[in-house]
This record gives sequence, C-alpha cells and structure tokens, in this order.
Amino acid sequence: MNDVVIDARNVGVKFKVLGGVIEAVKDVSFTLHKGQTIALVGESGSGKSVTARAVMRLLSKRAIVTPGTEILFNGKDLAKATATEMRHMRGNAMSMIFQEPMSSLNPVYKIGTQLAEVLRIHNRISKADAWQKAIDLLAEVQIPDPEARINQYPHQLSGGQRQRVMIAMALANKPDVLIADEPTTALDVTVQAEILGLIKALKDKTGMAVILITHDLTVVRQFADHVYVMQHGVVRESGPTEQIFSNPQHPYTKRLLGAEPKGQANALEVGDETVLSGKNIRVTYTLRRGGAFRGSYSKLQAVDGLSLDLKRGETLGLVGESGSGKTTFGQALLRLNTLSGGEVTFLGQRIEAFDRAQMKPLRSRMQIVFQDPFASLNPRMSVRQIIEEGLIVNQIGTGSKDRVARVEKALRDAGLPDTILNRFPHEFSGGQRQRLAIARAIAMEPEFILLDEPTSALDLSVQAQIIDLLRQLQRDRGLSYLFISHDLKVVRALCHRVIVMQNGQIVEQGPVADVLERPVTDYTKRLVRAAFEIAT
Amino acid sequence: MSTLHEGEAEDARTSTVSTLSQSYKALVWRRFRRSIPGMLGLTMVTLLLLTAIFAEFVAPMNPNEATASFAPPDHLSFFTKEGFTLFPVAYSIVEGTALDPVTYQPLTGPDLDHPRHLTLFAKGAPYHLFGLIPWDRHLIGVADGSPLHLLGTDKLGRDILSRGVFGSRLSLMISLVSITLITIIGTLLGITSGYIGGRFDMWFQRFVEIVLAFPQLPLYLTLTTLIPPTAPSSLFLSFVILVIVGLGWAQLSREVRSKTMSMARIDYVRAAVAVGASDGRIITRHILPNVLSHVIVSVTLGIPAIILLESFLGFLGFAVKPPLISWGLMLQDAQTFSTLGSYPWILSPVGFVLLAVFSFNALGDGLRDAVDPY
Repeated sequence: MNDVVIDARNVGVKFKVLGGVIEAVKDVSFTLHKGQTIALVGESGSGKSVTARAVMRLLSKRAIVTPGTEILFNGKDLAKATATEMRHMRGNAMSMIFQEPMSSLNPVYKIGTQLAEVLRIHNRISKADAWQKAIDLLAEVQIPDPEARINQYPHQLSGGQRQRVMIAMALANKPDVLIADEPTTALDVTVQAEILGLIKALKDKTGMAVILITHDLTVVRQFADHVYVMQHGVVRESGPTEQIFSNPQHPYTKRLLGAEPKGQANALEVGDETVLSGKNIRVTYTLRRGGAFRGSYSKLQAVDGLSLDLKRGETLGLVGESGSGKTTFGQALLRLNTLSGGEVTFLGQRIEAFDRAQMKPLRSRMQIVFQDPFASLNPRMSVRQIIEEGLIVNQIGTGSKDRVARVEKALRDAGLPDTILNRFPHEFSGGQRQRLAIARAIAMEPEFILLDEPTSALDLSVQAQIIDLLRQLQRDRGLSYLFISHDLKVVRALCHRVIVMQNGQIVEQGPVADVLERPVTDYTKRLVRAAFEIAT
Repeated sequence: MSTLHEGEAEDARTSTVSTLSQSYKALVWRRFRRSIPGMLGLTMVTLLLLTAIFAEFVAPMNPNEATASFAPPDHLSFFTKEGFTLFPVAYSIVEGTALDPVTYQPLTGPDLDHPRHLTLFAKGAPYHLFGLIPWDRHLIGVADGSPLHLLGTDKLGRDILSRGVFGSRLSLMISLVSITLITIIGTLLGITSGYIGGRFDMWFQRFVEIVLAFPQLPLYLTLTTLIPPTAPSSLFLSFVILVIVGLGWAQLSREVRSKTMSMARIDYVRAAVAVGASDGRIITRHILPNVLSHVIVSVTLGIPAIILLESFLGFLGFAVKPPLISWGLMLQDAQTFSTLGSYPWILSPVGFVLLAVFSFNALGDGLRDAVDPY
C-alpha cells in the first residue's frame, strides 16, 4: 500500500546502565497508515515511549539503537537521515506532545511567541503572519477568546488549556504524524475526555496519523484503530482494536484487560460504632499577596464546613478533582494540619484541639498511606527500620524480637516476603513500595487508615492487586478506610459510601451505587461520564 | 497470598544489573569510582594527608636548619658524565667564571663535576617521628648526606620544599578544625531553624544575614591585630580558627535550613509524624541522614576556601606567627618585588596551595555527583 506513513521494522533500543546493558525495546515492528490511529499500550517500563522516541530520533545519548532497526518514514529510511534533516522533520512532518503540560511550555514567553516561533522555524513567513496563524491555531484547538489568550503566559492557563496549546504547537505545521505520549495522564478526568476528543476531531479534519502512547485501556478502546500491546520491550500482541478487546490471545493482554478495577466493597456488617466523625470542619490558608510594605492578606477556604461519619469496617470515598480540598480535609481529620474550626471525634474522643503530645497515644490507631510511594519511604532506612519505627515510638511489643516478628507479620499480610528486612526502598517497584507503606500502617494495628490516592501512581494491574489487598485487610481486621481518590472506577470497587467534593464543599454524598448510578448534580454527572462513558 | 506479584517484582527484560541489596555507602562508592577527577582528587587528598602526618619523613631536610641563603633549586638530571643513570642525580647551581656581558654578574649553572646521587630512604637530619620515635631516614635524600634543595632555600637558607611539607600540617589543620566546627554549628543551627520555622526562623535568618553581610577582611584584620604580638602562637592560632568559624557557619546553615524545609514537607516525614514520632526522632532519623549528603559535599568544597583564606591572611602576616610554618606564612617572603625578581623559586608555596585546592575541589565534585544514588 502506498498510504503507509511509518513503517518500522525490528526496532531495538538498548541502554547502557551502571553494570550492564538493558534492552528496553526488542524487535518491535509496526506500520502506520495515513489517517490511522495506532496505540502502543503497556505498563510503565514496557518500552512504549522509547519506541516512539526512537522514531523521532529523540533518544538520550546513552541509548543504542540496535543494528537491524529500520524505520521508513514516507518511504525514506530515517537511519540514513542527517541530524539536520531530522531537525527539519521534527515539528514539521512529525510532531510530539508530552505528558506534562506544566513543564513543556517555556514559562517566560507568551503563548503566542512560542507558537509563532514554531511556525517561523519551518516556514518563511513574517512575524505578523505567524501571529495571525497562531491565533487561528488557538481557535482550532478550541481555546476560548484566542485573541486575548495569545498574549498570556503559560501559568495563566489551566492544565487542560496548556495541553491544548501543546497540541496547537504540534499541529502548527500540519504534520503527517502526531505522537501523543500519555497526553492526558496528568489531567483531571473531565478534562481528559475533552482533550482526546479534540485530538480525534483534528485527526479527522487533517487526515494525519496518530501514535497514541498510553496505559489507559479505556482511552485506547475509544480512540485507536489498531493496538500494539507491549510488555518488557516486546510487542506481545497486535491487531485491530475490536479484535484485541473482544478476543485477546496473549495471556498478558488478557491480564491487562482483566486488571480494570472491579468487584465491590466487602459486605458491610453494619456496626453502630462510629470510628471517626467530623462536624463542620474548616481549614483556612492565609495567602499574602503583593507589596513589600503593604501586603494584603486573603483567606483561602480549602475546606469549608465539611462533616462526615465513618463506621467501623466501612470505607468512605472522598472524590473530587485536584484542588478540591480532599487531601487537606483528610489530613485535618488526622490532625496532620491545623483546623480553623469544627469538631473531630475519634473513638469517642474530641481531638480537634489536641497538640502533638496529646495526639501521640492515638497515633497508633489511625494511620495514613500516601499517594506517591517514592516520596513516602525514607531512602536511607531499611525495610525493617521503616516498619519498626512506629512500633518503637509507641512502645508496641515486648522487645526487639517481638517487634521483628510483628514487622514480618505486617510484611506477610501486605503480600510481601518477610525476608526483605534489610533491603532498601529503592530496590522495590512502585507497587511493592506501596505495599511497604501499607505494611508500615498495619504494623501498628490501627482501626482507621486514611488512604490518600494510594493507587493513582501505580500501573493498572498493580492497582487491582492493591485494591484486593486493601479489601482483604479490611475483612481480616475490621479496618475503617477514608479513601481519597479522583478515580471513580477505583472508588466503585472499594467504597461503601462516597462524598463528592468541589471547592472545599460537599456537592453530593450517599451510597456508592446511588451516587454513581444516579448522580444528581452536574458536577458529579460530569465526573461519572468522564470515568465510565469513555469505556463503554 | 503469593509473595511475587506478576508485573511487579519480576522483570523479564534481559538485564545484567545485579539485584543484590546494597547499602547506601556501597552505592555511593560505586558511582564515585566512575568519576575520574573525583578519584584523582581522592588519591591526592590521601597523599596530602599522609604527607602532613609523616612530614618529618617526607621532608628531605630539617625545615628550620639554615644553609646558604636564597640557594636556587638543585638541577635534576638522569645523565652524568658517564652516561644515563636510572636514578636521577642532583647538581647544585654554582656561579661559574664567565660573566654576563651586560650586568657583569657571574653566570650560574649546574655544577656538572659533582653529581650527587639521590636515593630513597636516605640518611639525613635526625628527627623524632610524631615527636616520639627517633629516626634519621628521609623519603628522598642525597646518598652522601649533603643538603638537597629541590625548590631552593628562603632568605634564611631554609629548604623551601621541607618547609612546604611541614606547612601542610598547619594549613590542613586549620582548615580541618575550622570546617569541623563550621559543619557542626552550621548543621545544627540550620536544621533547628528550618525545622522549627515560624517566628524563630524569621529572626534567626535576619541574624544569619548580618553575619553573611559582614565585611570579612576588615574584621579579620581588626580582630587579629587585637591580640598582643607577645601572645603565644597557639593562642593566636586558635583565635584565627575562631574567626574563620565565626564567619563561616552562616553560609552552611543557610543551605542546610533550606534543605530541611523542603525535607520537612516530604511524605516520609509526614508519615513519621503520623506514627507519632517525636521532633528529635524525626530530625535525627529522617532529616539529618538525608541532609548529610549535602553537608559532606559542601564540607569538601569548603576546605579549599579556608586553605586559600589562610594563605591570603598569612601573606598579609595575620594568620600564623613564626616559628610555626604555614603556606601563607611562607608566601610572606614573596612580598617584596626585588626578592621575587631575583629568586622566583620562593613563590613555590603557591604550588602547594594550588595542589591542595585542586585536590579537595576534585574530590568534592566527584562526591557531589555520587551522593544521591537514588
């Protein structure tokens, strides 16, 4: 066929690392036709980004492209292209958008300047023409009021708008191929759907081909024509999207498809005992703005009069987009930050006015698991030290031997081998680290755990395992969870009740089934649609 | 529950990287070894320290023994009149019979008639190693025991190389003692200020700014001249160290403070608060070990600054008083241009300073790249 845009054969990339060579990509072949969208799917480390970068020849210096790699772009062998030819091609014939819209725009230049620059690098047009074209592009990516926006700086735009600007930049020179590397991962769910819709619309309009790199299967199902499932640098399975989803052949694909969070919360044996309750809680931040001498202060109401009740053995979901105040609220309940009003009752004790010394006897009974397992474990401490710390501090256990036994039990309960006591956090993967963080929490035998987005930094299949683990621990130990998340799929799989937050206030609350099946407010409806409707 | 989770622990990619558990030190060492300047710096710093410790043995002469004033450096050669020798010979520089046609000064040149063979472990001036063990061997010397001046002599006829070797003792001692005190004070105050924060931090940082803004040189000069010239030299020395420390801790405490502040917001510190750990425990177990890597680097990079400061103050005559020997003090001889013009070799202590500064800087650079292996 002569409408093949990219024909990649036997792409292989190796990385030299300390003490050896890692084969990041091995024998990956794919073809991309005009107007087609292919998706490279896989979990982190599967080599999907490296493959795309190999096509753009944007790999780091340490990367070695193995001999035998052949990438034909419009029939031209890219391996033979000079650095100058490649530079002309990038941003012109093929362009790329990245995951992080916060860091891929230069903060000191206006959006218009950056867009016009891209235009003027590859075309001989005047400054005024480029500016006019930049406005047209902004209109094309549906940024409202482009004439005003073009004079703004990146920090004045929201994450979604920035990603739109990135897309405008990528499309500026009407590329034949657009490589979208996790274009929506860093965005809120409601924004995700809009951005993907935009890419699709633009694709249909211009007839370009798209390589979509993602780990999100719902995105793939909605937007891709052809799927390549990658694992450990190898394509495990490829085929038309429908076929892959309806009739997966390779066990890895099956597992990936089966890894969507599913199931539901443990049946609740309703006890009457309230573990934690908060009444009318407010958290206020004071912001100082302007003037060295006459600074004015304004108050930011991060949490504005929230109340909740958590029964023993129950999981309560706290849902909202970033900036809605869910983490602040959760940490206020644990007295990890200061309340400016309201009542917190934990196991019958009023704790909102307790200082750290007064909180100490309660600490072992309320624990927290953080979102980022890479920041929540001290890199200088061994596994044993990390988990044992709470036991030492709270004088749990009868001595060193007893403590080690408790640490080992916590590790086993968290699904880790108990032989790793002397290893360090950096030796573990994200999922294993999150298990370590859970082990640290359950070693203290708490009654309540605050789970602050514990799965959102993890790969899909690992996510499902962590959810299973949390459910099992709840069954075995009668734990109560407050589960903070923006991912409604995970919430559906884990929670009994859910509270939807927006701008520090409760928008909607109720049993999970009710809220997710029959959302009442617009905001909740949007969240639900973004989470489930792309999938179905 | 199975203990190995698919897609988590196992990694089927062909990898030759070892998965053995390695301590922090082993990781740092593994990365440090790859840095060529760093390894060079480490070797040279080690040699420098050994030189300072075994100064009596390394120095070819007694540093206080006077021979001919302003004797030029001996000429080294692998050739004698008989031909090539494996071990070099030294020729003294002597005045010949010929005169310079312009200045009518006698021309000088190596005394080729009297080759003096160098040997290792030569017998020379007797000394007490570490002030205890009597010995008379030197690392290098002339076989017949005659004086060897590889870098010439100063105006009192003392061997410059030997004085340089002995000077390393004091120069390094000043830097190491000062940097140790600076580290302890700077780290403690920095962590305290950063961790407590709030009003205390606010006022304490204003104080730090005053210390940082202080014009250093006038302060050194005033303070050191305050001490009566008759005071014992050890008192003078401790005073110099005190001044260096008094002005030096502020910068480090600033750096440590900002590190601490960012560290205190990291999740693992919050997790420690959540398990009920006390402030003391959080500081010693969580913040200090993670700040320490930064401190170690700024210490190695701080030592050369103090060496330079000492040589500078010594040059002006404010750091160390005779009979102590330091590099700065030796450079005092080079203050007059007329001497410098006729006897350029008295500048050679600069070489020692350069070498020491370079070694510590290279070591610090290598360490900086290695201390954060994660």
